[in-house]
Amino acid sequence: MPYLSEIQHRRVIEPSGNEVGKLADVAVVPQGQFPAAQWAILATPNGEKVVRWADLAQEIGHFRLRARLENTPDAPLPPEALRLARDLLDKQIVDTHGAKVVRVNDLQLAEHEGQLRLVGADVGLRGLLRRVGAEGMAERMFGLAGRRLPRGIIPWHLVEPLETSDAKVRLTIPHAKLALLHPADIADVVEEMTADERVAVFQQLDIETAAEAMAEVEPEMQAAIVSDLPEERAADILEEMDPDEAADLLQDLPEERREELVELMEKEEAEDVEELLTYHEDSAGGIMTKDLIALPGGLTAAQAIDELREKKPDPELTYYLYVVDSDGKLEGVLSLRDLVVAAPETKVTEIMDPHVLKIDAETPKEEVAALIAKYDLLALPVVNARGKLLGTVTIDDVVELMLPRGWKKRSLRSIAR
Amino acid sequence: MIRTASAVRRRARFRRTAILGFLAVMGPGIITGFAGNDAGGVTTYTSVGAHYGYALLWLLLLSTAGLVVIQEMCARMGAVTGKGLSDLIRERFGVRWTIVAMVALLVANGSNVVAEFAGVAASLELLGVQRIVSVPAAAIAIWALVVFFSYRVVERALFVLVLAFVAYPVSALIVRPDWDSVLRGLAVPTLAPGQAALIAALALVGTTITPYMQFYIQASVVDKGIDRELYRFARVDVYLGALLTGLNGFFIVVVAGAVLFPAHVVVNSAADAAQALGPLAGDQAKLLFGIGLFGASLLAATVMPLSTSYAICEAFGWESGISKDFREAPVFMGLFTLLLVVGALVVLSPSVPLFPLILVSQNMNGLLLPITLVFILRLAGDRKLMGDQANGRLSQIVGIGAALLASALSLGLVAATVLGL
Repeated sequence: MPYLSEIQHRRVIEPSGNEVGKLADVAVVPQGQFPAAQWAILATPNGEKVVRWADLAQEIGHFRLRARLENTPDAPLPPEALRLARDLLDKQIVDTHGAKVVRVNDLQLAEHEGQLRLVGADVGLRGLLRRVGAEGMAERMFGLAGRRLPRGIIPWHLVEPLETSDAKVRLTIPHAKLALLHPADIADVVEEMTADERVAVFQQLDIETAAEAMAEVEPEMQAAIVSDLPEERAADILEEMDPDEAADLLQDLPEERREELVELMEKEEAEDVEELLTYHEDSAGGIMTKDLIALPGGLTAAQAIDELREKKPDPELTYYLYVVDSDGKLEGVLSLRDLVVAAPETKVTEIMDPHVLKIDAETPKEEVAALIAKYDLLALPVVNARGKLLGTVTIDDVVELMLPRGWKKRSLRSIAR
Repeated sequence: MIRTASAVRRRARFRRTAILGFLAVMGPGIITGFAGNDAGGVTTYTSVGAHYGYALLWLLLLSTAGLVVIQEMCARMGAVTGKGLSDLIRERFGVRWTIVAMVALLVANGSNVVAEFAGVAASLELLGVQRIVSVPAAAIAIWALVVFFSYRVVERALFVLVLAFVAYPVSALIVRPDWDSVLRGLAVPTLAPGQAALIAALALVGTTITPYMQFYIQASVVDKGIDRELYRFARVDVYLGALLTGLNGFFIVVVAGAVLFPAHVVVNSAADAAQALGPLAGDQAKLLFGIGLFGASLLAATVMPLSTSYAICEAFGWESGISKDFREAPVFMGLFTLLLVVGALVVLSPSVPLFPLILVSQNMNGLLLPITLVFILRLAGDRKLMGDQANGRLSQIVGIGAALLASALSLGLVAATVLGL
């Protein structure tokens, strides 16, 4: 997600490439949850010129006008418009009780459905450092100390302009959902919020979105949020999460809290999670998921397809279909394609590949990642000492291990720019 | 400082009766005037009088004129905008300039805290208490008082001690100074050549127009909820307060000039400085001076770190307030504690002579004063911000004059030091 400080002062060029000025400010009408950028204020040698945001195209490192400057119409700012840099940046925002006063260090923007929208006010140290161009350096220094630079973003829908003239902005009680955004984006926003607001957001979101967003949040922060949430709510979210992700999260909690939460969860989910909890969190057992498709060896292809039709499994579970015997021992693997092209009466044991690559639950996760990468797999089955199928490690559980450190965050930011 | 609900209530009460209002707003200016009369002030004025007689009184006159105008500007900004000085600097100049202003304030006030602890040490040494005992005890006492008790109560108690300095105006009458020479000193600008005289001169300007006072007066005005309407009354108070600072300085310089200068006393310790009160108090001079210096130092050592932390946290939007703990307001409490600890540690090293240390700290104030002044002048002269209450030409000229004076003395001192004059 870009920040105002990152796009402010960028060069603005005409279609011909001729530089006509710099982007001085962005204006929005402070209505709706995440107001869209509607006007750009350009600083030109002849003073400020207001144009419609749509007349600009964002390119790498600069903005390009869609027409020549003199052919671009002036777009007068309505009185209710808010100029982000002039009216918001560096200003204080006050919560409704006036008990907490913070300052807007930067403004967070996000591209949503083709529109640049104001999504949050950065009131944290990170924003301050970014403004003086020291964010990267500070991040490295914190990294050396083994810590992360603290974040503090208040999502825009929790901020409401008090009076646009004075440009004081007031925090309001969360009244709307963040659900407009993708769960991964919600997680990004949430990670940069203060502890209280994080908890408020996870109270507000619907369970499904909350669970998805929670899974995307940094592990250390997950534990903090779950600790601060009311137990019932925390248990509901954990239930909704994939068992392996829930187990990972619970692993980071103090034992007492962990047991309380597992107790509060539905029996079935709790059992899955409890089993996963017995494995070391850095082993295949710790990262595997219990969700998989295991077909009994006696089934025919037609029966197997019927079963799939009935179960309606998530797409990522259908990469590999496992065949097990009556004791749950892993016998082989087949693909959805194998199943579909086989004659209906063929037994699955006949079309399966019995030479299945499998790993022990104690295998370190780095080794799992290496195997998946080496053999171009999408998932690896996990078995116990007697060969019983316990779960699978899917590629999304280890993909982060395969990437250089910090790649995930950085690449997302550079794509968003 | 953050406007509290009680300030808003107080403001509503003020509206009811303008006369009561006048009495109620009598305060911020005079309190600031008093606070300016701290260890740095007493020491600097005494040294100036003892070493140069009345020769630098003209500089004190100019500084006081500058102080009156500048304090009025800041109080007016507080009344018009309802915001503190660091607040305005941040909103008008952005993050980078705010860092410049805040670093300047931190260094200036940090050096003041050092001076106040030196004052505590010097005053208690008069009474035979070693600084290895007095300084840590004072630092811990201040920290505990502010964190666990109300600092307002402490403030009042210490004010009573500061009243001991009334001894100076009284002494000025007793010692019968040569008023002709005093007038000449006020009217004829002279400055002895050399580094020592420049140090004294810059310290004189720096201790009279302390950057800290501008932040403090504006915060007080905002805190008290004084608005444009009430400001008419508050202005008198601000003028009085600034004049009080100048008058304090005047009497101390005159007394020291009449008593210590002819005797060629080199002021290197509180005992030397206390001799100025000899004609008035005789054998009790040390006690009188010691009490006044102790009260003033301790008071300023309490206020200074507190207002510094408030100003910096206000600028960067960090949680502040003495009712918060380290977890809630880490930067605020951290800064407050750090200033006390560092201030105390500098003074603790036994080889450091206390009075020269205080003079150096006041030089620091003078050196950094122009930075603060530039921000104040830009803000108070801004019509967009201040409307019809923006600085007139006279205020702007006096303000620029004060900044130029401090800059010229600073440059002169740097040049003299480098060239070894």
